[in-house]
Amino acid sequence: METIKHDNGQDGWISHGLPYLLGILVLLVTPLFLDTYGQGLMTRFLIFGLFAMSFNIVFGYAGLMSLGHAAFFGAGGYTVALLKLHYEVDLFWISAPLGILVATVIAALFAIIALRASGIYFLLVTFALGQMLYSLAWNVKWLNSKGMQGITGITLPDLGIAGFTLETLSFYYLVLIIFLLSCVLLYRLIISPFGLALEGIREGEPRMEAVGYNTWFLKYAAFVVSGSFAGLAGVLFAYYNFFVSPNHLGIATSFLPMVMVIMGGLGSFLGPVVGAAVFIFVENFASILSPQRWPLVLGTLFVLTIMFARDGIGVYLWRLWTKWRPDFGSAKN
Amino acid sequence: MGEGTKPNKNNQEPKTMDWFVINLLNGISYGMVLFLIAAGMSIVLGAMGVTNLAHGALYMVGAYVGWTVAVKWGAGFGLGLLAGGLSAGLVGLAIERGLLRHLYKKPNEQVLLTFGFVYILANLCLWIWGGWPRMPFTAKFLTGSMEILGRSYPKARIAVILVGLILAVVLWWLQEKTRMGAIVRAGMDDKETTMGLGINLERAFALIFFVSSFIAGSAGVIGAQLLGVHNALGMDVLLLALIVIIVGGVGSIQGALLGGILIGVIDAFGKAIFPQLAMFTMYVTMIVVIIVRPSGLLGRKI
Amino acid sequence: MEALRINKLSKRFGGVNAINDVSFAVDIGERLAIIGPNGAGKTTMFNLINGQLSPTTGKIHFFGQDVTFLPPHRRAHLGQARAFQVISLLQKLTVLQNTLLTINGTKPHRFAMFRPIRKFKDLFEKAANALEGLDLWEKRNEPVSNLAYGEQRKLEISLGLSMDPKLLLLDEPSAGLTKEEGTEIIGIIKDLDPAITVVIVDHDMDMVFEVAQRILVLHYGQVIADGDPGQIQKNQKVKEIYMGTEDSFDYAGTA
Repeated sequence: METIKHDNGQDGWISHGLPYLLGILVLLVTPLFLDTYGQGLMTRFLIFGLFAMSFNIVFGYAGLMSLGHAAFFGAGGYTVALLKLHYEVDLFWISAPLGILVATVIAALFAIIALRASGIYFLLVTFALGQMLYSLAWNVKWLNSKGMQGITGITLPDLGIAGFTLETLSFYYLVLIIFLLSCVLLYRLIISPFGLALEGIREGEPRMEAVGYNTWFLKYAAFVVSGSFAGLAGVLFAYYNFFVSPNHLGIATSFLPMVMVIMGGLGSFLGPVVGAAVFIFVENFASILSPQRWPLVLGTLFVLTIMFARDGIGVYLWRLWTKWRPDFGSAKN
Repeated sequence: MGEGTKPNKNNQEPKTMDWFVINLLNGISYGMVLFLIAAGMSIVLGAMGVTNLAHGALYMVGAYVGWTVAVKWGAGFGLGLLAGGLSAGLVGLAIERGLLRHLYKKPNEQVLLTFGFVYILANLCLWIWGGWPRMPFTAKFLTGSMEILGRSYPKARIAVILVGLILAVVLWWLQEKTRMGAIVRAGMDDKETTMGLGINLERAFALIFFVSSFIAGSAGVIGAQLLGVHNALGMDVLLLALIVIIVGGVGSIQGALLGGILIGVIDAFGKAIFPQLAMFTMYVTMIVVIIVRPSGLLGRKI
Repeated sequence: MEALRINKLSKRFGGVNAINDVSFAVDIGERLAIIGPNGAGKTTMFNLINGQLSPTTGKIHFFGQDVTFLPPHRRAHLGQARAFQVISLLQKLTVLQNTLLTINGTKPHRFAMFRPIRKFKDLFEKAANALEGLDLWEKRNEPVSNLAYGEQRKLEISLGLSMDPKLLLLDEPSAGLTKEEGTEIIGIIKDLDPAITVVIVDHDMDMVFEVAQRILVLHYGQVIADGDPGQIQKNQKVKEIYMGTEDSFDYAGTA
């Protein structure tokens, strides 16, 4: 896995920041030219980008391979759904914070169990814990709409602003704002001493211990923070999807951020976002051409990436960028 | 399982005893299937350090192929079993030789790669066999029941227990008493030296992976009567294998056996006492073991 | 007060006693060397002192405090620093990152979560000083793997010192080094603050005899000799166990 390089804050922020400014511009402007389907697709991209970035804290930075991350994602979504189903709550400012809270609590509990295990056991345990939640959602009546698996009938949230209701485009901008804010927070986390310590743990936990770091605690904190952001993504997902199902708690969804992080490049901060973009694009394409073969396409793409583009497509694109625009090509993010 | 007990002076006793024995046998036979599933994966994990998440998918391939040969073509259970094992073994071998062996020094990539194959294999099976599940099947001579302690019990399940025991003994012997077992265990620690001793580690790995996959595929055929033949097997069976390995410990046949039987029995009694609880007895057991003994009941500390 | 007191320490692995009923004490500021043939238990001893392993029986006291079962990171906070037998520096991270991490390890703001690390000025100053002293400032943004082996060794030991330790544990510091590099290390150790206690494990007898005031000889997990270099050199038992091993026990210089 690549080292994540940090800037020293000394290079000019324009040459450094231009790609990001352009990116934000694209995100701001593009949906205006798309129909609601396209806008929905971009919303989906942002949500999964956030999910993948949250996963990257644990996977890319701390080096912990967890296969149960959808537990937190789904928990956020289910909270929103249950509040709507049983208590008719539409207000974003109630559902969203509660969703994040529930996801955080579940992450806090899971981490205690999962961190008892190390190495490969950690992977197995996170997988099993995620499936346990899946099983719970499948079996417990209260967690389902009447007569089916999952919860339907979720609507776009109420922002509590008089006379203003969200629809597809405005919801997209809400998600975009949350996404960008989260990016900033996560970035600050990554360039903090805590973030560097996580990388240290990934590269050599025994040394980190010997040098004074309580690595268990750091890993735990990483897990919980990561779970919070995953929960946030899940909250937004419930509103976007109008429907949550046990699948959103289980391995089928846990696998996705891992795919995105790998495809986008394990060694970079925004790699997961690139990976999410690639994923959403290919998924959309495949679902038009041949929906039944989509898992096959995904699996093959994933395998090919691991075998041949191990630094990820995102890093590959970044290298292209630095090659073609040498005057802008300063230290990698 | 037939109903109907012999009348007795005290009406309660035979029911309780029967109930206990039946559930115990259910648990052990299910546990044996779990053992068969987990054994292969545990061997590869312990001997090669590879977490093959596609193990459940190989089980599924074996189950489908076995069904095709035994039921659809009517060639009999024995041939179906062989075909199932071989097909899974060959697929596993192809994955290992073609792709996995390039990733020997990168354990994370290995895990990820095998996971990609869960999706690939599941979708391929869907493509070939379609989405509807197949009926559970077993050998013709094993249909019907036999008498255990005055009650009827399916012959097939007894056979599963016997097969499991035989395989356990064979695998244990391979692991502990053969040169191959020792070589591979040594190779895990020091590849260069082992190769320098003129032992072809690559070939050993290929063989082990093949055997592990063969067992998985055979387990798919043997376990078909209990777990069925359907497209979600890849993930379902993987989950079962992981729980067994977590409980029993990695890298040893004994661990897979203990884990399998324990989980099987707990699950059987759990379902008999609280039917709504379904898989939760397994999960609770798993969580307890993780907290109390993180490397599994018989596992070596990793 | 003693810097380190080992009391009836034993460590069993399966059927083998890697450390067998060992007791000794180290005074503050003492330069102690632990030697012995391969497999004698020297690194196990370090792992027990530093916390990577827990003993089967016995106790370890560090500056009067019972640390027998304390995890390594707590021992670092109490004042232990260690250089490992196999260089433990984080190879894929940069020289600067390794330095920042090590210095910060025993500081309270190692947990700081939302403040950029570059804003911690004292941390950077300390790191800059350490690296400039080693002529590594220019290479600060290179991954540690780019450094020569000798440079890495020096860096690891220096980073250990940057932790302001009370006890410095050096596990085979001269392994893999050239004669000149070995001499440099000897110089570094000799220049250390006399208040720092140093325990060193090594096979290079030149280094051991130059640096140590006292030598403990381990064999199959037991102490078979304990004395100053002169005594050890003349010890018949010690000479015997070194016969037939690759280690040369001859020391050309004065003891």
